[in-house]
Amino acid sequence: MKKVLHVAIREFLSTVLTKGFIIGVLVTPALISFMVIMMPMLMNEEPPRIEGEVAVLDPTGEVVQGLAEYLKPEAIAERRSETQAKAKEVMEQIPGGAANAAMAQPSLDALLGEVPDLDIVRLDSGHDLETEKDRLIGDETGPESRLALITVHQDAVERTEGEEVFGSYDLFVREKLDDRIIDEIRRGMRTTLVDARIRQTDLDRATIEALTHVPRISSTTVTEKGEKETNEVLNMLLPAGFMILLLISVMTGGQYLLTTTVEEKSSRVVEVLLSAVSPMQLMTGKILGQMGVGLVILALYAGMGVAGLISFAMLGLLDLSLLFYLLIFYVIAYFVMASMMAAIGAAVNEMREAQTLMTPVMVTLMIPWMLWLPITRNPNSLFATITSFIPPINTFVMLLRMTSTSPPPMWQVWVTIAIGLLSVWGALWFAAKVFRVGLLMFGKPPNFATLIKWVKMA
Amino acid sequence: MSDAITLNGVTKTFGTKVAVRDLDLVVPTGAIYGFIGPNGAGKTTTIRMIMSILFPDCGQISVLGHESALEAKDRIGYLPEERGLYKKMKVGAFLMYMERLKRDSGTSSRSRVRGWLEKVGLADVENKKCEELSKGMQQKIQFIATVIHEPELLILDEPFSGLDPVNMRLLRDLVLEQGRKGSTVIFSTHVMDQAEQICDHIVMINDGDKVLDDNLDDIRRRFDPRTILFESLEIGADVTPLESLPSVEGITRKGAHHEISLKAGSDPGQAIREIVNAAPASRVELHRPTLEDIFVQIVTEGGTAGVDLDNLRAGLRNDAAAGGAS
Repeated sequence: MKKVLHVAIREFLSTVLTKGFIIGVLVTPALISFMVIMMPMLMNEEPPRIEGEVAVLDPTGEVVQGLAEYLKPEAIAERRSETQAKAKEVMEQIPGGAANAAMAQPSLDALLGEVPDLDIVRLDSGHDLETEKDRLIGDETGPESRLALITVHQDAVERTEGEEVFGSYDLFVREKLDDRIIDEIRRGMRTTLVDARIRQTDLDRATIEALTHVPRISSTTVTEKGEKETNEVLNMLLPAGFMILLLISVMTGGQYLLTTTVEEKSSRVVEVLLSAVSPMQLMTGKILGQMGVGLVILALYAGMGVAGLISFAMLGLLDLSLLFYLLIFYVIAYFVMASMMAAIGAAVNEMREAQTLMTPVMVTLMIPWMLWLPITRNPNSLFATITSFIPPINTFVMLLRMTSTSPPPMWQVWVTIAIGLLSVWGALWFAAKVFRVGLLMFGKPPNFATLIKWVKMA
Repeated sequence: MSDAITLNGVTKTFGTKVAVRDLDLVVPTGAIYGFIGPNGAGKTTTIRMIMSILFPDCGQISVLGHESALEAKDRIGYLPEERGLYKKMKVGAFLMYMERLKRDSGTSSRSRVRGWLEKVGLADVENKKCEELSKGMQQKIQFIATVIHEPELLILDEPFSGLDPVNMRLLRDLVLEQGRKGSTVIFSTHVMDQAEQICDHIVMINDGDKVLDDNLDDIRRRFDPRTILFESLEIGADVTPLESLPSVEGITRKGAHHEISLKAGSDPGQAIREIVNAAPASRVELHRPTLEDIFVQIVTEGGTAGVDLDNLRAGLRNDAAAGGAS
């Protein structure tokens, strides 16, 4: 046991104390904080003000005035500030969004850009369409440059006799025109045309708007503890967060285990080690050492997550017992993964050969990603229940279910854990055999059939 | 005194190839044993079975009184043929790690590591990474890692491969020193000279079979010298008178000298006196058979058909080719 411990300590230290690990572990959070702080600053830089003319070929004579009203700089500015106010309201509904909204404020301003100054020009019917289109070509700028050409259809305001639908309009624009301007023009045309059509009838626009308006309502979740607004975003993100945490920590430890095992084998240090420890001791020590590495990752990221929740005063959203189960599931998932990695590492001669054997392991690890949405949406379906019992994905699926809005009954959680422990035993058994035989085998990289043969042999 | 190692009817096959066949072996405590044989003879397989790294198909092995070397690992120092170091680890840290793994107490000592490094002339590498060392230096570090926990039994698989003569001599003296301290030493080599310089007991393995297991002196006596090297005083002198001597069987010219083979049962001392009387000589020397000669003789006498003797001899001298993992 002492030897196992020595191996584990060396394995842990030699991984954690490398520059690669320290940079890798610290860079990700650093990068995220950098993005959060820097992005708004970068996006704050204002794009140049857009000015130019929008020509309208309007045989109906009903459109130009309305469009000009709609595209007046003051009108655009007013609409933008309304949108911002709405966005802010939405952000505040998301947990932590109040702070985010404050942070996002300047960037939203920038996103909208400075209000464009558009000159609406009416062309009478005498103008030739092709000549007018030609004025869209070229790269002149300034108030004289033409940005867009609109040709309104004859029947855009008044239906032709016997037709069901109204006509509309065609829009020609300059190359690389800001798509926000195009959107403004479209919305302006829509409003103007609808207004004009309504004027032709004896209906009242305000009445129609009142009749068709139903606001989007956020739902309220009723629980034993009281009622709270349903948090749809959080309901999806929490399971994903937990699953990613589990995957990352399991993967990191597993990947390092594979690398160090292959390294020990290819540098031929392994038989020197076997003069002091048995293959089983070596494997156990290595697995335990890298489990520590995975735990460091898990603690670091989970700690950051909890710290984040605390700083937004939202720790209440998280059931802390979930962290305990996260730890249990980590140990189970890690041991299964690590056994496979140890076996693969011992079987091959170099990293390149490991790739082939790694493929099935990687594909297996993709499954939880694919299951994320269906399981969080429907955490107690038969499908979810069954997959949460099937190793090696059982721990991931169960974690998704437990962090979802309707957690599974406790007995299912413990069945998953029991099955998980059995799978750990099986994986270790398999790995121990492959490990022992594989360590001293050099030459042709084995395939799975060979691995099975080794298991029978050992 | 009990025996350090006993093997009883040990056989190991890999697929269809028999690596070791029905091997019996007893290594008494305190002896220095040499396993010799060409590449692929089964030396490494035997050693790995002794170390419980491989397991025999049948037969019993006992090491230091235990059924398996695993139970006595801390009392054994094993230098494998396939050996390496942690490239990124510092030399001192590596040696301390190995000592911690091997000592019962799980302790290691920096001063002991330094002492050993000084002994092999590498006092200044303690804080260097292993990958910075030359191959010969690495080999010395590996040797230290093998003996640092003061093992009772030392098993060295091809310890001298890849070493220059100076370092080979250094390492040989260190091995002999361990032997004098009372450790049992087993080492394998395919280079016969090395075995002759170190061992007091030889085990020859060829193609999985033990062909010789005897004391070096007994071997020499058994394979009695029947060849005399003769160099006449005058270059190109006629040696035909020697052919008629009663104990001489024949004479072959070998460059500047002649090899005189003696009849079976004749007394070499008597023959030398006769030769010196018959022709003036600048050199007359009883040619002791080398292990190489003996090995070749055994292999050929064993009736192994189609043995390429030149190749065999080359394999027993050549140090360049590293042995496969057989």
